[in-house]
Amino acid sequence: MKERKPRQIFVQGAISPAFIAESIQKHSTRHDIGGHSIFLGQVRADIINEKPVAAIEYTTYEEMALEKMFEIREAIFAKYDLTCMHVYHSLGKVGAGEICLFVFTSSKHRRMAIDACTELVEKIKHELPVWGKELFEDESYQWKENK
Amino acid sequence: MEIQITIFGQLTDITGSSLVRVPAARDTEELLTILKQQYPALGTAKFVVAVDKKIIQGNTALTANSSIALLPPFSGG
Repeated sequence: MKERKPRQIFVQGAISPAFIAESIQKHSTRHDIGGHSIFLGQVRADIINEKPVAAIEYTTYEEMALEKMFEIREAIFAKYDLTCMHVYHSLGKVGAGEICLFVFTSSKHRRMAIDACTELVEKIKHELPVWGKELFEDESYQWKENK
Repeated sequence: MEIQITIFGQLTDITGSSLVRVPAARDTEELLTILKQQYPALGTAKFVVAVDKKIIQGNTALTANSSIALLPPFSGG
């Protein structure tokens, strides 16, 4: 088995649909894969005090987040029989309607891919030191809270 | 032994900066007492402390090389 090391998961700004399409395309050579599961997080234009959220600005404690993500990745690989796993999270400003999180798991059969994807998203939300600042059109803001 | 603390998320609204220095602190308990005197609003804020990129549970000894961070509730994704 090849050795795994912490790898970069952060991308500056929104994650483009073209990048996601390309990621899917890259797996066409892996003929042991029978099912993919994909979660895409999208910035919601919540209305807060009559003002819609225009964008979320993400910041992180990067060294800690990458170490934590490495732990999460190892735990998920140990628990589920996956062919591969990819995680991308935005940093900086992401506009309402744009993609800020891309989680992609692949397996021989659907169940493993779906369950691993669900657990990964929960772990990312609860355990990664990332913070979202909800920005309004008038340049006021409030700090996002995860439900 | 000057201690540097990195501040994240909404806590930067309290400290006004993402980097805070205190002249000396032997452990995290002493450090938090000093910080709460300096920034009283930290007393009611929700956060955890990370030392060397690990969230600590109890009081933890500090050295000049410790990397210390205050982390408010995560809100990624």
